[in-house]
Amino acid sequence: MEATDFHDGLPPQNRHKRIVTSTIRSSTSYRVRRQATTTRWLVRGLGLVGLALLLWRVVTVGLAENYPLSFWISQALNGLVLGGVYALVALGYTLVYGILLMINFAHGEVMMIGAFTGVFALQFFTALGWMSGPTTLVVLALLLIAAAGMLGSIATGVTLERVAYRPLRGAPRLVPLISAIGASLFLQYSVLLVFGVSPRTYTRPPLLEGGFRVGDVFVPYTGVIIFVTSLLLMLALYLIVQRTKLGKAMRAVAEDKGTAALMGIDVDRVIVFTFILSAALAGAAGVMLGFHNTVVKFNSGFVPGLKAFTAAVLGGIGNIPGAMVGALLLGLIEAIGPSALGIPTEYKDIIAFSVLVIVLIFRPSGLLGEVVSEKKA
Amino acid sequence: MRLRSVQRGLRIGAIAFAILTYLILIGLPTRLGSVATPVLALLTALIFWVALRGGKSKRALADQSPAPLALTGATAGLASGLLTAALIAGFARLLAAGVNVQPYLDKIVPLNMAALYGVMPGAVMAGELPGGGWLWQVGLLTLAGVVGALLVLLERSLRQRTWSTGGALRWLTIVLPFVLLAFVIWLGSPGVTLGGNNRGTLRLLAAMAAIGSALFALRAAQRGREQRILALLLLIGLAYLPFTLDQFQNSVMGIVFIFVMMGLGLNIVVGFAGLLDLGYVAFFAIGAYVYAFLSAPFASPAFSALLTSLGVPADAPLVSFWVAIPITMLAAGLGGVLLGIPVLRLRGDYLAIVTLGFGEIIRLFMLNMSDLTNGPRGLLNVAPPYLFGYNLGNPRDIFILALLGAGVIAFAAYRLDGSRLGRAWIAMREDEDVAQATGVNLVQTKLLAFAIGALFAGLAGQLYAARQTNIFPDNFTLFVSVDTLSLVIVGGMGSIPGVVLGALALKGLPEVLRGIDEYRIVTFAALLVIMMIVRPEGILPSTRRRRELHEEGGPASEPAITLEPALPTDYRTLDGGKL
Repeated sequence: MEATDFHDGLPPQNRHKRIVTSTIRSSTSYRVRRQATTTRWLVRGLGLVGLALLLWRVVTVGLAENYPLSFWISQALNGLVLGGVYALVALGYTLVYGILLMINFAHGEVMMIGAFTGVFALQFFTALGWMSGPTTLVVLALLLIAAAGMLGSIATGVTLERVAYRPLRGAPRLVPLISAIGASLFLQYSVLLVFGVSPRTYTRPPLLEGGFRVGDVFVPYTGVIIFVTSLLLMLALYLIVQRTKLGKAMRAVAEDKGTAALMGIDVDRVIVFTFILSAALAGAAGVMLGFHNTVVKFNSGFVPGLKAFTAAVLGGIGNIPGAMVGALLLGLIEAIGPSALGIPTEYKDIIAFSVLVIVLIFRPSGLLGEVVSEKKA
Repeated sequence: MRLRSVQRGLRIGAIAFAILTYLILIGLPTRLGSVATPVLALLTALIFWVALRGGKSKRALADQSPAPLALTGATAGLASGLLTAALIAGFARLLAAGVNVQPYLDKIVPLNMAALYGVMPGAVMAGELPGGGWLWQVGLLTLAGVVGALLVLLERSLRQRTWSTGGALRWLTIVLPFVLLAFVIWLGSPGVTLGGNNRGTLRLLAAMAAIGSALFALRAAQRGREQRILALLLLIGLAYLPFTLDQFQNSVMGIVFIFVMMGLGLNIVVGFAGLLDLGYVAFFAIGAYVYAFLSAPFASPAFSALLTSLGVPADAPLVSFWVAIPITMLAAGLGGVLLGIPVLRLRGDYLAIVTLGFGEIIRLFMLNMSDLTNGPRGLLNVAPPYLFGYNLGNPRDIFILALLGAGVIAFAAYRLDGSRLGRAWIAMREDEDVAQATGVNLVQTKLLAFAIGALFAGLAGQLYAARQTNIFPDNFTLFVSVDTLSLVIVGGMGSIPGVVLGALALKGLPEVLRGIDEYRIVTFAALLVIMMIVRPEGILPSTRRRRELHEEGGPASEPAITLEPALPTDYRTLDGGKL
């Protein structure tokens, strides 16, 4: 923290923003400042009213429906499993955002292509007879399927970066975002054209069917496997970012591209590596989501992608632990929300989007993050 | 030197091979039929042209010398040809062996391969492929490489010569819309057989080209009297258009101009104020649904029940189309303010995602609140507009109404652009902090942008509902937002004529080229990416944006003086978990 002297003793976080705004604020009229605080209090008041209404609704519904505890626990477990998958995808958004300050809108599609590669690998191993073979063979096949999914995603992610994002580095921020939207649509509808409309099914091997009971709660094997795998992958990512030389380079580039380049870091290479990492996680998530939902379609990456983005924002985008926490939380909210609020499950997506909107209004920095949504565009 | 040319050729060839593989996989040859291979070769020649000229700048073009260029082109052509021919032969063998590839790759069917070999599908199934088939493919693609190289050389020699066209080109631009209009009218007169069965399509195409060229003509004309006279003449021509076109042509033009109305509204939000709104369809939907409630209250179970309980008969329209206009616009504008308040603090990409979420929420509500909106079954029998007892619901009158609406909105947008508010929007778009410091009321300015944009979308929605007479939640998907955004961007953000051109290109052309309907979305998605890379300011950019995006000496986003301190701003990253 030796650099504090340079900046009037301000706390290190968001220092530049404070400096910029404070210089400007001092010349701003009193009226503008008061107006801003009025809006803020208005928003806060509305938020409190909303929270009170929400609590009232939850309590009344809870009293009226009177579900058993085991119901809530199994819902929560479902939520955690889904949250684990969202976390892997959310990490991809966060990694890319941390380095390039852009939302990789096509990340959900990167995941979807991983799921497609995975389903073809699954069909291949089923044709070879591995999926109904001895346990070791099935496990080996599953690992290879996951690897295939990751490879498919990595190929997509790297191509995406090379074709749609790299030429736009340094352009105004709307430009890469629009390019990303175009890329997202292009990938979705190319998959539709190349592979056809009919959804592909992930047939679970007999080994993965079923589960075990803890009291009244049924725990499916797929759920356990997905959750444990997600945790392991997150741990691996954490180690890569914190302990390896490339991880250190990534953090340096995230901090300041120019200075990192002066220190001899190949910025292009680091960015490609970031895309590889985020795509690999997305590929694994795609395969697991495939086994979880049993079908993949050309658009099955879109909504999970949006939700994972929500999770990343919820945790504070650009922040690795934040993405994990945010995703698990979002999974829980989504799983418990409809029953707790007494609304049909079709409104599940509305809950996720509402969470996104609410977080951005009341705490744009996310749970663990710094303020970025108001950073200069 | 030679080795490097060959290496470069191989790289370009590989890229071309990837693109060709993609085109084969999406089934383009099936569509093209017997001319598949030549057309693909032509496309490849264009790809080689772009790849060989090496970048956008003039200098890159001047650096190319003929002999290495020809070598590179030929290598690239040969490489892509050999690879592609091998791929096609592989697929053909598989099909001949009786393997059903379709469950894996949907478009790899005998018809597709047959088109590439120029034979009947039966021949592919039987494995009777012409012996020299692969030679033909390789030959054509190698030729494409050479042609690509020649195109680069041709472009270079054309660029090196300075052309003195004098005022001829300008006058040609000014006269062109009138020539095209005359062509449209002549095509419609009885006894003309030009174009045969496709005469209607040709006419529609010419009419759209006329409107598009009119925009360029207006730009080419000198400011002042010349421009005003030209504008008047063009307006007269435009006003005549609905009366000469037939039903189908008018209905296409109607939808194009409804999207012009939408685009002009979104242009205010995105182009002027710089707020990327991906949920714009929500206001379009509000306009359409509010008009549907007002004109067909019986269609909605809950609303008609409410009216009957209040003693109002629910079996007839509540108000006429004209009275409904302020109501729908107000409702949509209110929606704009309600969306605007929570997102006041958000910028850039965050705003985009939140508005996208809002758009989806509105659609999900329309889909699920069956009592009010009748769910996926939609609201039926929405009333068309009436004027003195005349039904204006036919395509011609809808086109006229859309023209009028677009005209009014364009005028409003034009006036807003130069107004105090318009300048405040631009200041806000460039830098919110500085804008606030110079006295711009950010809250008011932002909300006004959302509200005014929404007003126009509401009007467009009302006209859309009156045109369709039946509306469903599926008419208001995210793709309406994306289409509108694309047309604003393709035309040129912040540019009013750009919106018209964008709507003609993105909504009109697909109607004309029905054959590529399947490829519509991928084409536009690819166009969006390419546009961002090649010409981010759009086809008909506003002068200001053009300057911004083509600043001398480096990208526009890096001003000479930055406010950021030279030192990193957050040291937690070195020891904490944050990336």
